[in-house]
Amino acid sequence: MELSIDHLTKDFLSVRALDDVTFRIRAGEIHALMGENGAGKSTLIKIVTGVYKPDSGRLLLDGQPVEFSSPRDALAAAIGAVHQERNLIPRFSVGENIVLEHLPTRNGMVDYAEVHRQARAYLDLLDRAIDTRAEVATLSVAQMQLVEIAKALSLKAKLLLLDEPTASISGHEAAALFDVLGRLRAQGVAIVFVSHKLEEVLSLCDRVTILRDGKIAAADEPIASVSRGRLVSLMIGRDERVADMGVRNPDTSQTVLELRAVSTSFGHHDADLSLHKGEILGLYGLVGAGRTELARSILGYGRITAGEIRVNGQRARIRSMNEALESYRIGYVSEDRKGEGLLLAYPVKENIAITIWRRIAGILGLITPRAEAKAAGPFVGRLAIRTPSIDAAVSTLSGGNQQKVSIAKWLAAQTDILIVDEPTVGIDVKTKVEIHELIAGIARDGVSVLLITSDMAEMVTLADRILVLHDFRIVGEVANDHRYEGTSAAVMNFIHAVDPAAAGA
Amino acid sequence: MRRILNAEWAGLLASIVVGAIVLAVVSPNFLSEFNFYVLLRSVCVSIIVAFAQMVTLAVGQMNLSVGALGGMTAILFGGMMEVFGVPLWLAVPIAITIGVLGGLVNGLLAARTGINGFIVTLATASAFTGVNLGLTKSVPFYKMPTALQDFGNGRIGALPFLLIAPLVVSPLLALFLFRLPIGRRLLAVGGNSQAAALSGISPGNAIVLAHCLSGFLAAIGAVLAVAQLGSAQPLIGSDWLLLSFAAPIIGGTALAGGYVSIIGAILAVLVIALIQNGLVLAKVDPYWVQFLLGALIVATISLNRWRARPIRLA
Repeated sequence: MELSIDHLTKDFLSVRALDDVTFRIRAGEIHALMGENGAGKSTLIKIVTGVYKPDSGRLLLDGQPVEFSSPRDALAAAIGAVHQERNLIPRFSVGENIVLEHLPTRNGMVDYAEVHRQARAYLDLLDRAIDTRAEVATLSVAQMQLVEIAKALSLKAKLLLLDEPTASISGHEAAALFDVLGRLRAQGVAIVFVSHKLEEVLSLCDRVTILRDGKIAAADEPIASVSRGRLVSLMIGRDERVADMGVRNPDTSQTVLELRAVSTSFGHHDADLSLHKGEILGLYGLVGAGRTELARSILGYGRITAGEIRVNGQRARIRSMNEALESYRIGYVSEDRKGEGLLLAYPVKENIAITIWRRIAGILGLITPRAEAKAAGPFVGRLAIRTPSIDAAVSTLSGGNQQKVSIAKWLAAQTDILIVDEPTVGIDVKTKVEIHELIAGIARDGVSVLLITSDMAEMVTLADRILVLHDFRIVGEVANDHRYEGTSAAVMNFIHAVDPAAAGA
Repeated sequence: MRRILNAEWAGLLASIVVGAIVLAVVSPNFLSEFNFYVLLRSVCVSIIVAFAQMVTLAVGQMNLSVGALGGMTAILFGGMMEVFGVPLWLAVPIAITIGVLGGLVNGLLAARTGINGFIVTLATASAFTGVNLGLTKSVPFYKMPTALQDFGNGRIGALPFLLIAPLVVSPLLALFLFRLPIGRRLLAVGGNSQAAALSGISPGNAIVLAHCLSGFLAAIGAVLAVAQLGSAQPLIGSDWLLLSFAAPIIGGTALAGGYVSIIGAILAVLVIALIQNGLVLAKVDPYWVQFLLGALIVATISLNRWRARPIRLA
């Protein structure tokens, strides 16, 4: 089956996720879809599988235009997928998960012997050790990933989309998967393969399409004609995307936050890190590298199983966010702004003052709206938060201004250390620059920032040093000279230096 | 044998056995045929009511209107026989249809409007109770057909006729939830609605189906309750809500959806009945039963939390 993607465009609120994307996937080829985090790959896959509807443009299967109103339509058109997030039913058996789309029945009832027989056949292609009768909830992440792949294979799809299928499996299992994909290709199946692992793409795929900021950077290029270097530069782009944030002078003699050989219950191993006063220390890694988990471990969500954390040279045992703020003056801007960072239905002033309620409380511990307004007011001006009033609900603000509010509350609390997790996800370009200036500004004022981001340009713009995290280990450190090409290449080299072995290539 | 020991409900079964032995030793009356009859008769409605909640929990919803819908169905069932002289054989299917329609209203509102099922059924609970009280002015219908009363009171030895209902419904429900593709889809939506949708299952349809089934079971519970009491009381259903959650949850059903245990729910109802029975035999103030029931729920759920493995999802 051949899929033509014809001028697809998709917006999410003010952000354009896909912009006039056109390319073609032929029968009997493995087509690599590449791009940085947030380039639009997963959005594209979700449109092809009927999860999202495009705002404009269309899909053609073998030349015929199709419109999918639900995933069911895409399944009926013989399109199968492994999505990036886990999509299994936790309390069902492995076998039933694999054949859930087409449960075999006898006399109208599910035939479990047949369920496990069919599931076994698909699972055996990848891993013989997983029991099809085991409950999915008991499996490891890698095993779940294999079950998802087996599930997609069981669809006997004519078009198969795999969104980072090898992200959490071992080289041995990936090799088995590539065998299967090779056979499917020979049978004429069209395969879309998303991966950050360059070696995999270069050795497995026939053609490559590269997305950058939702736009096509290269379409349908035969893989033989692109070098590894060109692939990377196409993903990154050549245009200067690093704004000058001025000079900062972090005080490297003063270490405010230090991890010494820290291992965590999330699986981090032997992590060393030191954050200096007034410094922006970047923590970069691909999806699933354990960035947010490391931040959360510092804040007491997740157990420290070995090593120690020091704040201002003193050993620190932080058990909760409240303790982090009250005893150690650490703030945390969550990557999940709407879910964790803000009280959406509450006014701007309360969202800013929430961290200092205790300080501004008057007689009897009561908080007056006036005290809140007085405490929060200056930040609205200083951060240029565009809001009709300090009493407006945060939910009525744009994403960028919401993010400013979630940063403002930590400034109000006068934190010394601020952990900032993905500060500009889903934020338009103009406000993004303002937020970058804001973060650079607070660092200049002496706040130490631990910056977590999967946006390389943001990292190169802001960080003084970049720690590279891969598979829950810190694998390297790059001194940032704020020049995109060199720094990003250095960071990616650390990740790929680990990869070839892991990918079994 | 090993499977029984490993089952989640093994603890419940053990506590029933131990509880029964203790009661038998402490109070010789416990082992009497009549006491067994009283005990079994009291669990029939409860088991069906527990199932009515369990099927909405299965899909990841809640039905707070389970008792209100049961109460409304009960008085409409009794009323149509007393006031309009509808024969019993016709009144039963009409009553069950009413229950299904009530569930359909819940399901459609929960699935199509996007309003949380908790709020929807909280509101419809009030509405159903309103219909109940508006029609009856709190006055029960007393003139029930003799056949119905005989069914409600009859027994063979210690076995009440009413026991037929759970004996028929339980295996059919197990068949539905564990063997029929449509039942599997319902549980799949409860387990991970996003994943189910990507597998071509419609979460909306599953939610509507679960609420209809809940209404169906609540109506069966209502008919049984009328038979048991010998009259259609407006108060039927008013004490169902706590038990409807307690029994499935104690029995291992996941509050968040996606996993149910039919045997667990039945055993939990038996445990609760044993406690009540034991307290009566021990001449304890029946009002304290309420307290013990609450304490039991908290204890069991804490135990389950402690036992649950932390599951890492990427």
